[in-house]
Amino acid sequence: MTRLLQVSAVLTLLGLALMVWSMVAPTPMPVILAMSVGQLLGTLAFGMFGYAVLVDQVRKQRVKGVAAAARRAAARHAAAGSGAAGSGAAGSGAAGSGAAGSTAVSSGGTASAAAGAAAVQPDGEASS
Amino acid sequence: MLSDPFLAFALGCAAIAVVLLVWYLAVRPPLTRATKLVLLFGIGLLPIGTAANGNVAGYHATKTRVFCSSCHVMTPFGDDSGNPSSTSLAARHGRNEAFGDENCYTCHADYGMFGTITTKLGGMRHVYEYALHFHQLTVDEALPRIHIRTPFPNATCIRCHSTEAPGWRRIGDHKSLLDRLRAGTVSCASDGCHGPAHPFARVAHIRAEQAEAAAAAATAGAAK
Repeated sequence: MTRLLQVSAVLTLLGLALMVWSMVAPTPMPVILAMSVGQLLGTLAFGMFGYAVLVDQVRKQRVKGVAAAARRAAARHAAAGSGAAGSGAAGSGAAGSGAAGSTAVSSGGTASAAAGAAAVQPDGEASS
Repeated sequence: MLSDPFLAFALGCAAIAVVLLVWYLAVRPPLTRATKLVLLFGIGLLPIGTAANGNVAGYHATKTRVFCSSCHVMTPFGDDSGNPSSTSLAARHGRNEAFGDENCYTCHADYGMFGTITTKLGGMRHVYEYALHFHQLTVDEALPRIHIRTPFPNATCIRCHSTEAPGWRRIGDHKSLLDRLRAGTVSCASDGCHGPAHPFARVAHIRAEQAEAAAAAATAGAAK
């Protein structure tokens, strides 16, 4: 995208040069060039800029979306882990009670931190 | 030059845009929101301002006598119509304040709703003709070949000389030819009336025709 924007900036400078030339020396050739080639270059450059910004924006949205999905998944995982760990800490010692705890917390959906998920997960694994 | 506000605004926009773009190309900052904003001005808004105002300034520039005479074959026409001591029809109109520096355009522009557009299209034809046929010629070579494409319409004269003023109607020729003048069947610029607006061009045409006739006669005589 940086390359595209640099080309766009250079095209704009060329277009502006033609337009300024037509204003400084208003003879037929500069005026015709400015009103045709100059404006074409300017329009093309602006289109390229718009495209670059759009692509950058879409990319950022996508990254943001992926990050949010990862956070949600991590949160779900964390919630599942903490449920299992809770039942383990209660000292039931049965695998079935850990699974029940996990289900109960998941449906609540309150946990959110990925770090928490990482911290809780080993316990969950240990309990299961 | 900067007395034209459109021109001053266009040049100002261009100058700021150039500073922003050169900064972007030299510094190469990362594409943050601030950079995008700078580029929006440098690539978008300011060049659009330059183009829009430059078009208006360019349009005004294309109406001036200096612009018309910038093609070398038009120099005698521009010189004559801007000459304060010339008595040609073009020069007498050029001295009128209502025509001034735009006297070529004022007389040769088409009348009507789309007059400006058809005039500009006609101007593009002039550029085409100049680039392909007249660019290489000297002024003396070009002068006999330059002619108005369609007869000069009386409607252009009638824009100012309305044919209604009592002073105009008092002239016998005007009175007797009124209908034909309004219909355009008799030209105001015909030889028997006011004559051509650029008489030196008419003289060049006549000389060229005479030379051609003499050459044809010489060729015919040699063949006999």
